Formats: sequence, C-alpha cells, structure tokens
Amino acid sequence: MVFNSLTFVVFFACVLALHSLPLPWTVKKINLLIASYLFYAAWNPPFVILLWVSTVVDWYAAQGLVKAQRARTRHAWMLLSVIANLGLLGYFKYGQFLLDNFTSLMSAVGIAYHPAHYDIVLPVGISFYTFATMSYTLDVYLRRAAPAQNLLDYALFVTFFPHLVAGPIMRPTELVPQFAQARRASGEQLRFGLALMTLGLFNKIVLADSFLARAAERVYDSDKIPGALDAWAATLAFSGQIFCDFAGYSTTAIGAALCLGFAMPDNFRFPYAAVGFTDFWRRWHITLSSWLRDYLYIPLGGNRHGARRTYAALMMTMLLGGLWHGANWTFVAWGGLHGVYLAAERALRARFANYRPGPLAFVALGLLTYTLVNVTWVFFRAKTFSKAWIVLRGMFGQNAAAKPILTTFSLISVAAIVGGIVLTHWLMRARTLESVVARAPAVALCMIWALLAFAIVIAQGAGNAFIYFQF
Amino acid sequence: MHSSTSSFDRGAVPDRYARQTAADRPGVAQPVPLRPVPAQPWGRILIGAVLLVVLLVAGWEEYWRAYGVRPSIANNYGLWAIQRRRIDAGEGDATVLLGASRLYFDIQLPVWERLDGRRPIQLSFEGTSPLKAVEDLAADPEFTGRVLIAVEPDLFFSGYEYRAGAIRYALKESPSQRIGQWLSMHLIEPYFAFDDPDYALQTVLARQPWPARPGLHSFIRVRKLSETEADRNTHLWSKVDTDPEYRALARRIWLQNFEPADDDPSPAEALKIEKEQIARMAKAVAQLRARSVKVLFVRMPSAGPYLEYEKRNFPRARTWDALLAATGAAGIHFEDYPEMQGYNLPEWSHMTRAEAERFTAVLYRIIQRDFWAPGAR
Repeated sequence: MVFNSLTFVVFFACVLALHSLPLPWTVKKINLLIASYLFYAAWNPPFVILLWVSTVVDWYAAQGLVKAQRARTRHAWMLLSVIANLGLLGYFKYGQFLLDNFTSLMSAVGIAYHPAHYDIVLPVGISFYTFATMSYTLDVYLRRAAPAQNLLDYALFVTFFPHLVAGPIMRPTELVPQFAQARRASGEQLRFGLALMTLGLFNKIVLADSFLARAAERVYDSDKIPGALDAWAATLAFSGQIFCDFAGYSTTAIGAALCLGFAMPDNFRFPYAAVGFTDFWRRWHITLSSWLRDYLYIPLGGNRHGARRTYAALMMTMLLGGLWHGANWTFVAWGGLHGVYLAAERALRARFANYRPGPLAFVALGLLTYTLVNVTWVFFRAKTFSKAWIVLRGMFGQNAAAKPILTTFSLISVAAIVGGIVLTHWLMRARTLESVVARAPAVALCMIWALLAFAIVIAQGAGNAFIYFQF
Repeated sequence: MHSSTSSFDRGAVPDRYARQTAADRPGVAQPVPLRPVPAQPWGRILIGAVLLVVLLVAGWEEYWRAYGVRPSIANNYGLWAIQRRRIDAGEGDATVLLGASRLYFDIQLPVWERLDGRRPIQLSFEGTSPLKAVEDLAADPEFTGRVLIAVEPDLFFSGYEYRAGAIRYALKESPSQRIGQWLSMHLIEPYFAFDDPDYALQTVLARQPWPARPGLHSFIRVRKLSETEADRNTHLWSKVDTDPEYRALARRIWLQNFEPADDDPSPAEALKIEKEQIARMAKAVAQLRARSVKVLFVRMPSAGPYLEYEKRNFPRARTWDALLAATGAAGIHFEDYPEMQGYNLPEWSHMTRAEAERFTAVLYRIIQRDFWAPGAR
C-alpha cells in the first residue's frame, strides 16, 4: 500500500495501537513482521514469496559465511547471495529489456529473432529490498558486521514496512541492533514522527502530485513540440516533482519509523543547494549513493589505483546506478551524464586545487550545478531518446515550430514552487531540519503543521504511486 | 565516487542536531542512525494543529455546501470496478448499461428496477466512448445478459476516451486499492461535500481568472455536472438546472467543442476513425450475439446547439444508420419516438433528475414492447 492512501492511515493506526500494547518484545516484533508482509501483500500478494526468497537466501548465505573456514567457500556463499538477488532483479526488472536489446542486436546482424511473448510484472520495490539484503551478506563477507542473532530480527530488517519499498536503503548494522531491545516511541518521538509524516505527505500529495506532475506531463507526455519556456518549465517542474515525491517518501518513512520508536537514516540533505556534483551526491538519495560507493565503486578500485582506474570505476558506478533506476537506456544516459559531471569535477579540482570561490562565484557554481542536474533530468523523465532530444532542443531554443503548451497558471505555480524549493535548500544547506524547528516559535509550528495537513486534505490526492516504486 | 565534501563548499555550520550520514562514512559498517527530536512542546503543538485543521476543514466544507454541493460518492475507477465485478460474481445475466454521460445521467436505476424487478449494472463513463467496455464484455464468457449501448455521436464515432483507464484499473486493482475504495465510500464520501475532484485545491486555483498566455488557446474544463450514488446511479446536479449562471457556464463549455480546434483530425482522418469504431463495434457485437447476448443501441436525446453540432458533424445516415447496418443489431433513435422527445435538457446534453426518471420509464417500456419482450422484434 502507498503512504498517501486511506488504507495506510487505517493500517498505520492499527500498527501503532498494537505496538503500544503491553506485549512481550518478541510478540511485538512478530506483529511488525506480519504487518510488514501485509503492507507488501496489499499490492500483489504472491510477490511476498520473493521477499521470503530474498530473506532466506541471505540469511543462510550469511550463516554459511560465518561457518566457512576457507576463503573460497566464503567467496562462494557471497556469490550465491549476489547471484540470487541480482538474478531476481534481473529476471523481473531487466528481463524484457535484455530480450528487447537481444532482439534488436539480432536484427542488426540480419537475424530475424521473434521471442515468445514475455509479460513480466515488476514487483514493487524489488530494487530496494534486494540491495538491503545484499548489503547484509556483503557486510558479513567484508567482515564489517556480524550476522543477525536470530531470523526474526533479520527478516524484520528486510521487511520493516517504512523502508521496504522505496528506502531509505538500510544497512543491517543500522536497523538490526534496534530490534535487540524493546523499543517504544516516547510521546515526543510519536508527535515529531507524525509531524514528519505530514511534511512528507505534503511534499508528495500537494506539491509533487497536485501541481508539479501536471506541468511535466503536459510537455513530456504529449506530442507537442515545446519552446524554451515550456521545456524549461516542464523540466524544472520535474526536478521539483521528483524531489518532493522521493524526499517526501523518505520523510514519511522516517516519521513512520520514529512513531514506532525506530531511527532511520537521512536520505536527502537539501540537494538543490549542492555546489558541485560530488556535493550533489552527498545530498541526493544518500543511502543509494553510499551503497553504490561501498559495494561497487570501492570494490572496483575506487581512487586507490591511479587516475585512469578511478575514472573508469566512477563511470561504471554511475552507469550501473542509472540502470538501477530503470530498464531503459535513457536511465543509463542519465547515470552516464552524472558520471561525466563527476569526472569533470574531479579533473577540475585536481587542476585548480587552490581555487576558493568567493560568495558570488559560490552561488553561481551552485546554480550551474542545479542547471546541469536539470539537463540530466530530461533523460530521466523522457521515455525515449527522441523525446529527450525534443525537450533538450526546446531548452536551448532550437524548436522553431514550437507553440505554447503550459498555461499561465502552470508557469506561475512551477516558478513559485520550484523557486521556493531551491531557495529553501539554499537557506537550509548547512542546517538540519531539527535545528530550525527547535528555534521556531511553537505557535508558528502549530500553524504550519495545520496548514500542511489542511492542504493535504483539500488537495484530494488520488493515491498516486511514488515514482521510485517503479525502480 | 569521491567521498569528501566538495572543495567548493564552505562546509556546514555545526548545530546541536547535526549528524553524519552514510555519505560521511565510506567503506565501513553504518551505525544505528541518530534521529533527534527538536526540543518543543510537541503535545501542545499537536493539539493546536488538530484543532486548527478541524476548523479549517469545517470552514472549507461549509463554503462548498453554501455553493450548493452535497456529499456524493466519487465517480472513480474503483467504483466502476465494483460494478464490473458483479458480472463475474453471479450476475452475468444482468442488463448492462454502456455509454457515456447521457446514458449515465439519464437512466435512473431505481426506476428501471421498479419496472424490471432487477437493477441494471451501470458501466457508462462520462466523456468516454463505450467501445472498449463493449469489447471487454464481449471477451468475458461470464456475461450472457443484455446490453444497452448508448450512442453519443461526438464520443462514440471519434473514439474519444476521457476515462480510458477503467478496464485496466479493474483488472489490476490491488487489495490496498479495494480496501481504500471501501473506506472512502463509507468514511469520507458520504459525509464531505468538498471531497469532489472539481473542488480539489489545484483545480480551484487553476480556474481562477489568470491572464491568458499569448498563443495558447484557453479552454474551460468541464465542471461538476452530476451526483453519483454507491451503485453508480447518477443524475444531473440540480445546480445546472436551478442556477442560471452555472447553466450558462455549462453551455459555454460545450460551445467550445463545437468550434474547430487545431488538433482536430482532418475530415478524411475523422471518416477513417468513424469507420474503425464501427468495425470494431461490429466485431464485439458479433461476439456478444454469438453467446446469445441481446444487444440494443440507443441514441440518447440532445437538444439545441449540441444537437445541431451532432447533426452537422455526425449525420445520421453516415453514422447511426451505418452502425446498425454493420452490427446487425437493433437500435432506438430518440428522433423516431415522439415519447422520447421534449425533455428538459438544461445544458442541451443531459436531463434534470425528474426528467431522467420519466425518460427511464419511457425508454424501458419501448425496449420491452419492441425489443426485449418475448416475441418482440
């Protein structure tokens, strides 16, 4: 089920009530586990089996890793986990993509290959929970962490509903220890958790779905040729939409976990105030970028084997990171562009090691970063390369036949919301939400909370799925 | 990926809630995260916020009720899916109504039930050609009943689908969506008038008198026209009849459609589309009739400029007559029956509720007399 649904409201109220009952801790954990399976089954019950497969394989792989005496045996257990998880991901997420590309390749060499119809439904959140379970086996393999003490704690780590389908991608060392002792949210945690959930849902329902998504759809999902204003407005709208959608999910998830007494990591740190792309990736989808760094970039050699190897590892990481987002070459292009940006930044920093920008240059570099990030969003949002080129040509004023697409209201709402998001990120770039909230007058917090909740109610969200569910 | 802070960054100013993220800890096991709660009187803040939300929502509700809106069931895909499932849950021999808004608003299910003894299944959707829904029924062997298909020419012969996703939604509806639909129908929709897409925040803001963008044709979107009940029995909203200003607005919205638009298909393309729609309908009807399903078309009444537009763009001989000839099915055209004419259609397309009740009885009797009674033609 999605957070922005009436079903979730009732579900979450039941979970909170159950969790507050004076029951033994093990019973409470079993309740949470069952609730999490129900949460997942509410999309498509048979796919719970995939969760079980992923859970059981990694549980036994980690047990095998601990018991193994020889390096080769350890290696085999690790490979079993990686192959099982990537196999699931490959079959369900990339099966059709691989088949289509193979067919195209055969066609290119003159072989007419007609594969059987292959209709696969993508299990929601599979990219997230396979990465979470893989990090468990890999941490044990890399001797960074001991395996969980019992299957219940481990299964709950994999399945815990706040992070299950769209992250934050949690590591076992972040969550499993929290299951060791009885936890119940304090009154303050519960209320602040509810406030975070309100903020997250406001981002999703009001800003992303009600206002920004439409402007992006009208340009990206239509046959019309956009001019510069429409192309930029739609792309900026998407930059705001995807932030509000995904950061909104993460904030809601963090709030939901906090209401139950659990802590989840930050996933976003005001990314549109990033200055440089290294900075951007320290602020955007932090749990994915750090996962890719720890389990892909560093094992590929990281920055320890010379410049050439570093650039190669960087590009490989970003290309695969792009592919992780979706089975389409446009996502690979998105990742590739980010890889090029990161490589260029690295080269520039080596060349101008002593450069320190002044305040104006600092802001200018930040705006340049945001602009270039928007160029990458074109490939992320467009369903095809041809559409991406049309929008890019529009952004650079090259669509002579363009006619206006977005209404004055759309343009104003995109400018106001996205301008507000970017400004907020700059004001908050060196702060935490908690520090600002702690300094705010209680009356102001009360009014803001009420207005956010009221806006959620009157926006009448249609329960649209979060964008990242498809990844 | 570089793991240190950008050298361009002046660095964060530490505060008492500052904490590291995984970005700051490369290549190590990540510890249990910190999740501090800002020091504030959260209990009082929550109580104040709840009271304020209650007041704001009450004010919003009162505002829309004063405008004439009453709580009604949301006319959405979930509601359609509930009715669609009836066919596969033991009511395969039912009478199914398939059309666009005229069949949807102008047939009153309680009147039909009173005359027939059974309540039909209403699967019409406003602004949407019924073709795909007919094809869906044709492919469903569970359905062996009777089907009344409404022809609203501008939608039927153009294949236009404002509500294109209902069938797919019904097939793919998740348990969570089903539960949400039930909860909404029982806890929200019967009590809150503002819970209507026409009064959603974005919709209300978007229809304010913003300056027109040069070069962009401004188009007023269709406003609320109907009220729906739990089994999709629907009628024209009384405000369309009783509020002259609102009625004028509804008429103005229709008039927009009668003017040529940039994205209209060429006459040749329009003809091709018409023929495709008729051919597909003929195929679906043949499938239904092969299972002994009784199929009957009905051309629902329209009036004024709407009727003129339909006659001009979808002449009867080229569309209605061709449809009946291609399908071999029977049809009722309102112009052929004096008792189907002369109704009050405030915005030229739909009847008032009272008129719809009268019309339902008339249409039902015609159908029984001439088509569906034993021995009828």
